Amino acid sequence: METPRPTSHSDFLVNKKRIRVLGLSLDDAIKIFFGGNAVLSVIVLALITYFLFQEGFGFFGQNHRNLLTYRQAGLEYVDFIRTQESGHIALTRYLSDLRLRQYNEYVATQKMLPSAANDALAKFDEFAVQYGDAVESIRGMVSDLTEQATAIKTKFLIAEDKKIERQQLLAAGKIEAAAAVKIETVDFAAELHVLKGILPLYKETNADFAKKLDAALMAAPKFTTPELSARFDRFKELTRDYLATFPSTTSSLETWDYTRPVPWYQAISAFLFGREWLTASFWQDWYGIVPLLMGSIMVSLVALVIAVPLGVGAAIYINQIASAREQRIVKPSIEFISAFPSVVLGFFGIAVLGQSLRWLSQQAWLAWVPGFPFSERLNILTAGCLLALIAVPTIFTLAEDALQNVPKAFKEASFALGATRLQTIIKIVVPASLSGIISAVLLGLGRVIGETMVVLLCAGNRIAIPDFTAGLAVVTQPVHTMTGIIAQEMGEVVRGSIHYRALFVVGIVLFFLSLGINFIAQKIVRKYRISIG
Amino acid sequence: MDIKSPFSSPASGRSIPVTTSPAGATLIDIDHVDFYYGASQALHDISLKIEEKKVTAFIGPSGCGKSTLLRCLNRMNDLIDGTRVAKGQIKIRGIDIYDPSVDVIELRKRVGMVFQKSNPFPKSIYENITYGLRLQGRSNKSDLDAVVEKSLRGAALWDEVKDRLHTSGLGLSGGQQQRLCIARAIAVEPEVILMDEPCSALDPIATVKVEELIQELRTKFTIVIVTHNMQQAARCSDKTAFFYMGKLIEFADTRAIFMNPANAQTEAYVSGRFG
Repeated sequence: METPRPTSHSDFLVNKKRIRVLGLSLDDAIKIFFGGNAVLSVIVLALITYFLFQEGFGFFGQNHRNLLTYRQAGLEYVDFIRTQESGHIALTRYLSDLRLRQYNEYVATQKMLPSAANDALAKFDEFAVQYGDAVESIRGMVSDLTEQATAIKTKFLIAEDKKIERQQLLAAGKIEAAAAVKIETVDFAAELHVLKGILPLYKETNADFAKKLDAALMAAPKFTTPELSARFDRFKELTRDYLATFPSTTSSLETWDYTRPVPWYQAISAFLFGREWLTASFWQDWYGIVPLLMGSIMVSLVALVIAVPLGVGAAIYINQIASAREQRIVKPSIEFISAFPSVVLGFFGIAVLGQSLRWLSQQAWLAWVPGFPFSERLNILTAGCLLALIAVPTIFTLAEDALQNVPKAFKEASFALGATRLQTIIKIVVPASLSGIISAVLLGLGRVIGETMVVLLCAGNRIAIPDFTAGLAVVTQPVHTMTGIIAQEMGEVVRGSIHYRALFVVGIVLFFLSLGINFIAQKIVRKYRISIG
Repeated sequence: MDIKSPFSSPASGRSIPVTTSPAGATLIDIDHVDFYYGASQALHDISLKIEEKKVTAFIGPSGCGKSTLLRCLNRMNDLIDGTRVAKGQIKIRGIDIYDPSVDVIELRKRVGMVFQKSNPFPKSIYENITYGLRLQGRSNKSDLDAVVEKSLRGAALWDEVKDRLHTSGLGLSGGQQQRLCIARAIAVEPEVILMDEPCSALDPIATVKVEELIQELRTKFTIVIVTHNMQQAARCSDKTAFFYMGKLIEFADTRAIFMNPANAQTEAYVSGRFG
């Protein structure tokens, strides 16, 4: 006989043990917890991006004012003549190089005593002095004008500061105190009158200068070897070219007008294409990203040139050739490199690598290597080598993944057709994983370009565009990088100043660079998934 | 057809004598073979003679060693660490293929293979077929073109793909892909084609096409086929070997195996009582 069950038939589906959290079912609570985490990270990301842009975009307005002041205070005017002066300095440097070569020729080849060699160069020295002194009057003029223009600029900046002070007082409600702030308005026309008044004198001085250079060339000394003579002919040619620029300098001065507006786009182009990053200067600050961008690119390029063969090669070996035992040892070792804090790598770079590379470069039997010997221990090469170390684990791991994803069936089919292991790797495995390998390299590049500590410590931190005329030897020059400059200068800038904002814009450029690299890498990976099928 | 002596690679002096022996002569002689994966024995004392220009089917339940034996015939098992032939010999035309002097690359050129899952390379149809030839250094365009057409015709695929030879082989249907793999295998003109359950991933229509293809290929090649499908073995093979637990239970003419098996286990298997 069946006894009736105590529960009624209709509620057997109702779960009595359901756990409730804050009035929600467990499922919903879990959903909200994880969803909340995702939303939070998106919000934080958005805030960072917003902050970056908000701080950065003010730069362009400030830079525009910066450029405007440069013109209005007459600094631009003075720089025309200063450029002319520095052209002459470059030429005298060429001349002293020439003297050194001739001296070496006397001493080394003709076995002269140093004193005799100097005597033989007396005529040359006379020429060099004459050539060098020719610029004196121009130089004096530049230094006078510099003082005047600086005075105008200072006056203007003080006036601007006072204006801000008054506004702040007004805002605080202190009307009397605000009225007491005296603002000296700068009358650019009157101030610059003195500056422009120099023009007739400049023309006179300049004509005299040109005449002196001509005269000096007439009395040119003779050289003992055809090579040196050829160099001196080149020097004469350079001088003639230099003289040919005089009329354009004069006309620039004549047509210069402080009221001419600075177009708005110049604030952007002066940043993007500016070849100088010069801050806290007594004369004029320039915020041009090119030297920093070039520095970052060069260092990353060197790093990739080293890291790609190492990383991809190691990945191919480990994935395709190595025995299981080797895999167990080598794989974790390579991945272990990324456990080093980059500041430790940087320290290693300064103390060991830079030192050793320089020592190596000074060995006689390596003199054939381009750029050897070099004297700067911290340079593109040192930083590039260390960055390669940072990129290798990334490239290795991702490339190994890509190779791992190649179906085993492809390899089997290739072997079954009589391919050797090498043929299978080159013709089947690598092509099938190529896009994965490329994206591994790109992500390695992204890792390298954002790396800060190593480049700050080891790239040499000289803000200059590398001299590409040196060929491959360019890698032995010190550079500064985008990441390095932010880390180095952010601590000492005034919040809200143009310099502060310029660093943010550098950060934005870096952000877009990384974004672009990652985006391309993602695209390639997605395409690769489809092609394998 | 000028058949290059299969084992005449420069390094190894030994070569399998090429004779135009009639269909039915022994081509592969498997002689008391024991095979191990590491410590576990997969094949126990297998002896079997595979005849030339015949289709030999290996049947048996999963894990019985039939695929392992198949992969011994072109030494594909070498690719797996820890495998070894512990005892016995496998001879092709009298040459022990596990002899150290044998060039395994040459062996695989002569003993082609088609896999369970179709595996065309992620390349064009044309490149898939010419891959084996290019490995041998053949690059004459008209020469390759001729081989591509001949192989695709041989695999009954030519009419379907002749207009898209340079599109990816992965764009074909499953059955077409498997026939492409067969075309790729016959392009290098092997003597033997090993087929490891070639139809297990195909639908019935594609299966019929591949089975018809096997009937055509038997006139030119010696075929060894592993199959789970007993009807397939009955339809396409001349000889059938039944394996169970790594042992060869019975090997005889296909008709005899299915109609009049000598062994009780064979009878139970072919009649569907286990497996």
